[in-house]
Amino acid sequence: MSKEILDPQKWVELYADMMYRFALVRVKDPEAADELVQATFFAALKSQHTFAGKSSEKTWLFGILKHKIMDHFRSSKKHISIDLTSNEGPDRIKFDSSGHMSPKPGNWNIDPEKAAENNELAQVLAECLKALPKKYHKLFILREIDGLSSDEICKEFNIKPTNLWVILHRARNQLKLCLETNWLNTK
Amino acid sequence: MKALKMTCEDVYPLISESRDHALPFLSRMRLKMHFALCGLCQIYQKQLETLCKVARALGKDEAKALEETSMSPEVKEKIRQWIIKKT
Repeated sequence: MSKEILDPQKWVELYADMMYRFALVRVKDPEAADELVQATFFAALKSQHTFAGKSSEKTWLFGILKHKIMDHFRSSKKHISIDLTSNEGPDRIKFDSSGHMSPKPGNWNIDPEKAAENNELAQVLAECLKALPKKYHKLFILREIDGLSSDEICKEFNIKPTNLWVILHRARNQLKLCLETNWLNTK
Repeated sequence: MKALKMTCEDVYPLISESRDHALPFLSRMRLKMHFALCGLCQIYQKQLETLCKVARALGKDEAKALEETSMSPEVKEKIRQWIIKKT
């Protein structure tokens, strides 16, 4: 079997866009994705001698990129410290004297299965997501959009499951209220 | 039976939590009991389900849009020049 060789002069042409998209999907920040791709090429050039030729050039570069992305998450972890006692989060849920949520849940009159195809609702939700505090936004996206499990999120950000569930509950509730104000009332 | 009784205030967090992990047996039973009596909590559960389905669809649309993005030509050129210099 012939050994794979590296051809750094062709890296940008062959892999830059692919690596950029791979990074962007994960870090959701174009500037950070640019930096990660640059850092990967930089590290790859420096450690060319460690390339044994057993995997393809592409696999080797993506392996380095994955490490860089994990480093990026680790270094931004400190920004995710959550203080549940602070007032920064979404409003707490209010209840009336009979123990019912106030305001009462409105009738959305939409089948959850069909809701996913409703563009107008999706647009309003996108706006509501932007209004969530940053930490709540990030955890909601990881859980509901990226589909990470509670365990994975808690491990990654070093938070207790009970705290995560409270945060997700508050985030969902704020989004629900936001949809009721901005979508239901304009239907 | 009294041990199974819960107010809406107790139930709302559990409705959200049930999306994140398997609830303990007793909580599951309490939730079931409460749903049998409370239409508002059923509506709330359905709303959260709708909300999360729409969020997921939104994520898929974004991922699709991302597939069509590329790195800016300026950044690519900068890296290309830098690699030429170093090799």
